[in-house]
Amino acid sequence: MAYSDKVVDHYENPRNVGTLDKSSESVGTGLVGAPECGDVMRLQIRVNPETHVIEDAKFKTFGCGSAIASSSLATEWVKGKTIAEALTITNTDIVKELALPPVKIHCSVLAEDAIRAAIGDWKKKNHVTEEVGVAVAAAH
Amino acid sequence: MDYFHIFSLPTKLTVDLPALEKSFYALSRKLHPDRFASRPAAEQAAALAESSNLNDAYRTLKDPIARTEYLLKLEGIELEEQSKAATEVARTTGVAKKQIVPPDLLEEAFELNMQLEEMRMAKKMGEDDPQLRHDLQAAKSAFDAKMSATQAELESLWSKWDAALDTNNAAAKTAARDAMVSLLNRRSYLRNLVRDVNEALET
Repeated sequence: MAYSDKVVDHYENPRNVGTLDKSSESVGTGLVGAPECGDVMRLQIRVNPETHVIEDAKFKTFGCGSAIASSSLATEWVKGKTIAEALTITNTDIVKELALPPVKIHCSVLAEDAIRAAIGDWKKKNHVTEEVGVAVAAAH
Repeated sequence: MDYFHIFSLPTKLTVDLPALEKSFYALSRKLHPDRFASRPAAEQAAALAESSNLNDAYRTLKDPIARTEYLLKLEGIELEEQSKAATEVARTTGVAKKQIVPPDLLEEAFELNMQLEEMRMAKKMGEDDPQLRHDLQAAKSAFDAKMSATQAELESLWSKWDAALDTNNAAAKTAARDAMVSLLNRRSYLRNLVRDVNEALET
C-alpha cells in the first residue's frame, strides 16, 4: 500500500516524540489502543493552569506508519490550542490532512481517542468538570 | 450460503473437526475439475468458483480463531465500525470513551514495547544487555501463558454460545457474543506482543 507524502514525512520525521512527567499536575496522559491491529498510542499534554492552553505535547506510538503519523499530527495540532479548541479536532480532520485510505481510518480514530483521553486525564487531575468544549466549538 | 451451511452444520462454535474434514473431502471430490472436463466452459467455471469458496469455508471453520471471527461477522459485529461510532458518541457527549482493551493490558503492552525498543537499540550499538534479555524471557513466558489461557476461555465461551443457541436464549447469546469480542480484542494484543518478543529474542 502506498502512503501519502504527508504520512511518510510524519513517519520519517515524527514531531514531538517523547515523554512528559506523568505525575505532574499539569500533565494529562492518554493511553489508547486499536485492537484491530494491536497498536498502542500514548499522548501527553502539558496544560497551562491559568489559560488552559496546551503548551507542550508528546507522543509515543507503537504501530504502523499511519498510526505514528496520526499521533504525530495530533501533537502538532493540539500545541498552542486551548483544551476547548483541542476537543474540536476530529478523526475526519486527520484523515483529510494525511489522505488516509479507508483501511487506515482506525488510526485517525485512535489519535482522536488519545487527545480526548489525555484531556480527560488532565481534567480529572485538576477537577475541571465544566464542558469547556461546547462553548468554544459553537463560537467557531 | 454461509460457511456453516456449506457443510450442513449448525452455526455453532464447537465443531467436530474430523467430521468437518470428511465432509470437506466429499464435497471437494464432487467439484473436482476432472468431473467437469467434458462440460461446457460456464459449468467448469462455476465448479471452480464453488470449489474455491469451499476451500475458504474449510480453512475458516477449521481454525478456531478464524471460525469465531467469522461467526461474529455473521452476527453483524464490525469492530472497526463500533470503535468509530463510540468515538463519535464521546465527541458529542463529552463522556469518555471506554477503551475496548482493558487499561492494564494497554499499560503492559506499552511497557513491553518500550523494553523491546530498548533492546533493539542496544543491539544496534553492538551491546547485549543480559538483564533486558532476562526481562524479555520472563515477559515471553507470561504472555505465552496468557495466550494459552485465552484459548481455554474462548472454548468455554463457545459452549455458552452453543448452549444459548440450543435454548434460543437471546440474552445469553448476546452476552456470549460480547464476551468473545472483548476476548478476541485482548488476544490480538497478546499475539502481537508474543510475536514482537520472539523477534527481539531471536535476532
